Amino acid sequence: MKKEKPKYNMAQNTWFMVKLAWTSREKKVLVLGLLSALLAVAQNLVNLYVTPTILSAVERHASLQELAAVIGSFVLGLMLVSTGAAYVAANVKFGRVSVRCELLNRINRKAAVTSYPNVDDSGFRKVLTKSLESLCSDESAGEAIWTTLTTLVTNILGFVIYVSMLSAVEPVLILVILGTTGVSYFVTNRANGYRYRHREEEAEYVVRMDYLSRTGSQLSSAKDIRIFGLRPWLDELYQKGRAAYVAFHSKAQGIYLWGRVADLVLAFLRNGIAYLYLIALVLENNLPVAEFLLLFTAVSGFSEWITGILGEFSSLYKQSLDISVIRECLEYPEVFRFEDGEPLNPEGDKPYELRMEDVSFRYPGAEKDTLSHIDLTLHPGEKLAVVGLNGAGKTTLIKLLCGFLDPTQGRVLLDGKDIRDYNRRDYYRMFSAVFQSFSLLPGTIAANVAQMEDNISMEKVRACIEKAGLKEKVESLPQSCETLLNREVYEGAILLSGGETQRLMLARALYKDAPFVILDEPTAALDPIAESDMYQKYNQMTQGKSSVYISHRLASTRFCDRIILIDEGRIAEEGTHEALLKAGGKYAGLYGVQSKYYQEGAEDHGA
Amino acid sequence: MEHKKQKSWKQAMKLNGRGLQILYRHYPQAVLSRIVYTIWTALTPYIGIYLSALIIDELAGGRDIHRLQFLVLLSLGAAAGIAMVTALLNRWKVIYNTGSWLMVERIYSEKLIGMDYAYLDATKTAELLSTIRQNETSAGWGFHRLMNSCEMLCSSVCTLLGGISLTVSLFASRVPDGTGPFTVLNHPVLVLLVIGLMLAITYLAPALSNKAGRYWAINADSHNLVNRLIGFFALLGYDRDAATDVRIYEQDKVCDKYNQDKEKNIFSSKGMFARLSWGPMGLYQAASAGVSVVFTGIVYGFVCLKAWAGAFGLGSVTQYVASITKVSGGMSSLIVALGHMRNNAPFMEQIFTFLDIPNHMYQGSLTVEKRRDRKYEVEFRDVSFKYPGSENYALSHVNMKFEVGKRLAVVGMNGSGKTTFIKLLCRLYDPTEGQILLNGIDIRKYNYGEYMNIFSVVFQDFQLFALPLGQNVAGRVDYDPVRAEDCLQKAGFGDRLEKMPKGLETYLYKDYDKEGVDISGGEAQKIAIARALYKDAPFIILDEPTAALDPVAEAEIYEKFDEIVEDKTAIYISHRLSSCKFCDRIAVFHEGSVIQQGTHTQLLSDEAGQYYALWNAQAQYYNEESND
Repeated sequence: MKKEKPKYNMAQNTWFMVKLAWTSREKKVLVLGLLSALLAVAQNLVNLYVTPTILSAVERHASLQELAAVIGSFVLGLMLVSTGAAYVAANVKFGRVSVRCELLNRINRKAAVTSYPNVDDSGFRKVLTKSLESLCSDESAGEAIWTTLTTLVTNILGFVIYVSMLSAVEPVLILVILGTTGVSYFVTNRANGYRYRHREEEAEYVVRMDYLSRTGSQLSSAKDIRIFGLRPWLDELYQKGRAAYVAFHSKAQGIYLWGRVADLVLAFLRNGIAYLYLIALVLENNLPVAEFLLLFTAVSGFSEWITGILGEFSSLYKQSLDISVIRECLEYPEVFRFEDGEPLNPEGDKPYELRMEDVSFRYPGAEKDTLSHIDLTLHPGEKLAVVGLNGAGKTTLIKLLCGFLDPTQGRVLLDGKDIRDYNRRDYYRMFSAVFQSFSLLPGTIAANVAQMEDNISMEKVRACIEKAGLKEKVESLPQSCETLLNREVYEGAILLSGGETQRLMLARALYKDAPFVILDEPTAALDPIAESDMYQKYNQMTQGKSSVYISHRLASTRFCDRIILIDEGRIAEEGTHEALLKAGGKYAGLYGVQSKYYQEGAEDHGA
Repeated sequence: MEHKKQKSWKQAMKLNGRGLQILYRHYPQAVLSRIVYTIWTALTPYIGIYLSALIIDELAGGRDIHRLQFLVLLSLGAAAGIAMVTALLNRWKVIYNTGSWLMVERIYSEKLIGMDYAYLDATKTAELLSTIRQNETSAGWGFHRLMNSCEMLCSSVCTLLGGISLTVSLFASRVPDGTGPFTVLNHPVLVLLVIGLMLAITYLAPALSNKAGRYWAINADSHNLVNRLIGFFALLGYDRDAATDVRIYEQDKVCDKYNQDKEKNIFSSKGMFARLSWGPMGLYQAASAGVSVVFTGIVYGFVCLKAWAGAFGLGSVTQYVASITKVSGGMSSLIVALGHMRNNAPFMEQIFTFLDIPNHMYQGSLTVEKRRDRKYEVEFRDVSFKYPGSENYALSHVNMKFEVGKRLAVVGMNGSGKTTFIKLLCRLYDPTEGQILLNGIDIRKYNYGEYMNIFSVVFQDFQLFALPLGQNVAGRVDYDPVRAEDCLQKAGFGDRLEKMPKGLETYLYKDYDKEGVDISGGEAQKIAIARALYKDAPFIILDEPTAALDPVAEAEIYEKFDEIVEDKTAIYISHRLSSCKFCDRIAVFHEGSVIQQGTHTQLLSDEAGQYYALWNAQAQYYNEESND
């Protein structure tokens, strides 16, 4: 396996987290963490001394008052640390959750605004996915690191105290414990590591079983499964997957077992030596039995501190790797300009001109250009249609115009100025768009139209809903514009049909009222009458604006001023519908294919 | 909400018992191994406690070197032996229990995959399941909690039994007579008093802790909503399909608003739970810990007094203190375990509501006669249908007879009942009124699987699986590769098949196998058609098969269909009326009824009819004359 060197080391990442807690106003994470470490050590020490001390009082047959005083003071001490520890434990979590949410939010924001090419960049995708994994639950690195750090501090403190205690008795004992515990840790760790080293293999089994279970039970595949009787097929694969998974764990556990055997042999040795040594002390030096008990407990306690330190360091190492990835994701280089670009303040009514100047584009890793040498001007107020077959490059063209992609060669100019100079976020304000895939927010209809939650102009929302032809539907809902959408989030939410969602997207574009309108193939799932109605709506909403309309349904583009046909990455033909038909080129050919049946129908009927 | 009501103990135990049975039926090894492991680890610590007490006694008393040697060896040997057995049991447990969430999920998915489509499609079912899953992920309610609390129950009962057996002698052993006032320690009333006090405290500590825990259970609904909101807004940036929209409409701002709101997020440092923990929840937890310490104090006091007065030696002191502490721990966890089971009971009930959803469709037993001539006559006789929970009829009084070997087109606006009609035909739903007959017999009387055998359907939202191409076509692991390839050829996938790196063995998509190949929507459609052909059923139904295709691909498919379909009875549903012209008959649906039937020419001649309107809505764009 290739090992990638993390960008930041363990100390740097620990410092990063500490600083993050400090600056995101969650200092309590640090304070409570330290406090819980101290209380844990205190609790351990009280527990270590309680039995031997009381035992010693009984052994010496000390006075009743003394016995009572000893017991009383221990109870008091224990009371103090236990209640303190319990209270801290109840409160320690929330600050940690907040810090994790802060990171999660930063990652989300980075992903939501990063230069669009990063969205499809496998390098960014990889660090993004890993970052989310490291932040998804309280057990993942972004939050678990606090537990690790706390426990580490506890173990180190305990270790130091026990060393001083045991070295007063017999330094050799310390060496024996260190030796046996250390060896035992490394053997066990090596054996346990099998699963860690094969985690990708394990993840694959999980992914497969999960896929089969999930897909098999989804509503979306239910019809096919029933009609084609696919259940036995999926069941068979699941059973095979499960068997392989159990076999994997069987193997991992077999190796793990050897670790346990080594561990128990070494424990046998360690305790044997401790027993022999301490018993000799009792017999020969008259060590009190209570002292014997104290030391013997301390021996096993000491070995636990050592195991603890080693174990926590190895967790910290793994968590540090994850945090390093989170930081890499946050710092992932941007190819677009944002804050460092020129500001741009779009005005809805101002005429803008958008021009592509000898633009070529090639996707990273592709062998040939998707678009080559495109010269195209979108004049102020013009309605442009882009048609072509699937894969001709229509969507890429739109992505270049909207500034989602930058040309490999050539320039895209807004009123003569290269769009790369602008703050890209500002540039996006130039567009009202309806894309094929859209993002509906869980929230009210009004919030979805306005794309904000506060300061919504309800009057404008209602006007846009009416223009988009959604008024009737919205008014039929008891809560009208305040009706919640997205059933996966809100229990009382409603589900809009495909056509209604289209109209909602349209209303949203209207509300934004930007200089350019972009419509990408929006009518695929509509019935003929709804489709025809939708064309009318588009026609109305683009009045007075510059617009680009993409479709592979040629007939729908007739309301546009100009049509361009994209074929194999170039503008093959250009003109009005009538002119293109007359020219008898590719457009006319495609139109012929599509309209054949209708025209024959019309002729039949007319005849 | 209703399900948060406390169950009586009897109901609670019944629900938990049933849950355990279900788990055992699905995963006997997992349940057994966990229980055996739990019992073993609960009992074995007492061996160590007992042996080290013997060593201490010997050191404080006889100091016989041989006996000491023997005891030390015994103790070390026992520890090693126990560790070995523990390791073996742990291995057994881990092998069968890893991925337990997958195992639980499988119980649900087995139910879902075998469920009547009508129930599966019902929003209520989806909502129920999503509540179950959310309760599971947010706090482990349901099967996970059930298993944990059963484990806890076993463990605490064993701990109690073992501890009590090592402590009986504490109360039984007498302070020697003649120690003056200390003989009062022998008095049964005092002994009972001490035991009573211990029991009271043992009960109090977990009761206080449970009080703190109740806050989580009471607020289960609000965490679910918060989790769902976070789940959406903290991950929106990750959604590739949303990426363009997110940028154009600056949705990161709305995300920020939700993600940065520390007060609304009930888990964060300014949220509801943080406030509660700073106040009552934290105090209850602290009080619970404090009360446990009082218990320890009483134990030490009582044991030491007795020892001091000479009832037993030092070794016994350690033994009693350790055992009673364990007994108390055992009592506490018994109470906690029972509390968990009771709190979990309403969640189990919810799960059973889901698992008990009946299967009505699987009751018929008639077999469908295999006919070489494909003479299967299907007839709708006055069929009406309402979706469950809906007021309105989606279909009303539909009468239709399918002519064997003919082509039927079904057209109409969105929501006119076309798809419902197909769903009834394929028995995804049963009619509310009226009958569907196959060769004159109500289809409900047939065995469900057998009836399904006569249909091949390419749904508009058909689903392929991220499994090998050949298996997708055949729908099974062992298939006939020649036939699969032939079907793919017929569906127009031949050229693409040649480019597939492992041919029919190539995995589709990357969800299941990383080496899988991504395919376009149009290619997927061809595979779906190949699957329908492989099945070679007498009826073939194509639901809007060309929506995702461009004009050229669309024309290709139209021209091929006739040849592909051969002598089968074919039904097309389409928005593109041009495809209907091939058909022998066209049925026009409107608001749940069949309002027109006939050939294209017949229907178009009725200028007042719906078909004419639909046709012209599309044709206007292509019809030069009428447009200018």
